[in-house]
Amino acid sequence: MSIAESIQSIGFLADIRESALVYPVIMATHLACIAIFGGMILMTDLRLLALAMTDRTVTDVVNQFRNWKRVGFCIMVTMGILLGASEAAKYTPNPFFWGKMASLILVAAHAVIFRPMVYNNTAAIDAAPSLPGRAKLAGALSLLIWFSILSNGRLIGYWEGPGSPGKPIASSVRSAPQVAATHAQSR
Amino acid sequence: MFLAFDPTTNPINNTEWGFPLLEIIHITGFTLSVGTIAIVDMGLLGWGKRGTAAQLLKETSTWTLVGLIIMLISGPLIFSSDPNMYLGNGSFRFKMGALLLAIIYNYTIHRKVAKSGAPPGGLSKIVGIVSLVLWVSVVFGGLFIAFV
Repeated sequence: MSIAESIQSIGFLADIRESALVYPVIMATHLACIAIFGGMILMTDLRLLALAMTDRTVTDVVNQFRNWKRVGFCIMVTMGILLGASEAAKYTPNPFFWGKMASLILVAAHAVIFRPMVYNNTAAIDAAPSLPGRAKLAGALSLLIWFSILSNGRLIGYWEGPGSPGKPIASSVRSAPQVAATHAQSR
Repeated sequence: MFLAFDPTTNPINNTEWGFPLLEIIHITGFTLSVGTIAIVDMGLLGWGKRGTAAQLLKETSTWTLVGLIIMLISGPLIFSSDPNMYLGNGSFRFKMGALLLAIIYNYTIHRKVAKSGAPPGGLSKIVGIVSLVLWVSVVFGGLFIAFV
């Protein structure tokens, strides 16, 4: 038995996978957290790019959302781990899953690099005569990385897997396939 | 009207990337709209450290609208990939009901209370919680389309 199979055979993870209700509820919670807390990431990034909430200082915006972003991140990651671990054997060969994991590592790298320069140094950014390049860079890269996480996350459900043509990983792709024969092959 | 529409000729169903790309755009759109509405809700609930709901509404309402427009263009395009399936789907119908309520609520009661500038109290807290519940219902309804 592979490591992935061992993980997903753990009692409660198998229960999650096999439940007609629990699995989608966890997935929906994951998605609802993206909707609610993702907006705070977006607004912080757009403020760093001077595109939103410009009436306020960067300090104000960063502090306003910081703790809530952390709360949201914890819930999202918890739900994500439950989803990933309960379907570990399907996820481990999926390139989009690894794309998402790699992007999450980039989030950590982004934090390590920009926290001292930007997020923990907002007073200096607000005091600067014009918005410093490092703030704009932090905002732009954060937008890019989070968009990559979102895209890879959604595409996980579309990867067919080697030797299993037309078999979707998540059943969350039931719309178009019934109507287009060509598409049925790719879902 | 939709019955006469032939989904097999819809470009969305005839390109490999069309459908997933629309979904990604849709998720981005609702993150922007629901996320900025949730920011105002935090103000209504008195959970935001700085800024009243009125200020937060003023600062985010343009982005909310941008998100809603993205969501309301990508959503119907996704719908067009298989109208009959969606119309017959209980979760889709629930989502549409919740969405209609949520949008009306957002631009009437929610907006009025947020703008009133009243300090976070009983009423504004209820208004904030109702808003969050409505939008979370829309998201849940959307996801469950694939599971019912």
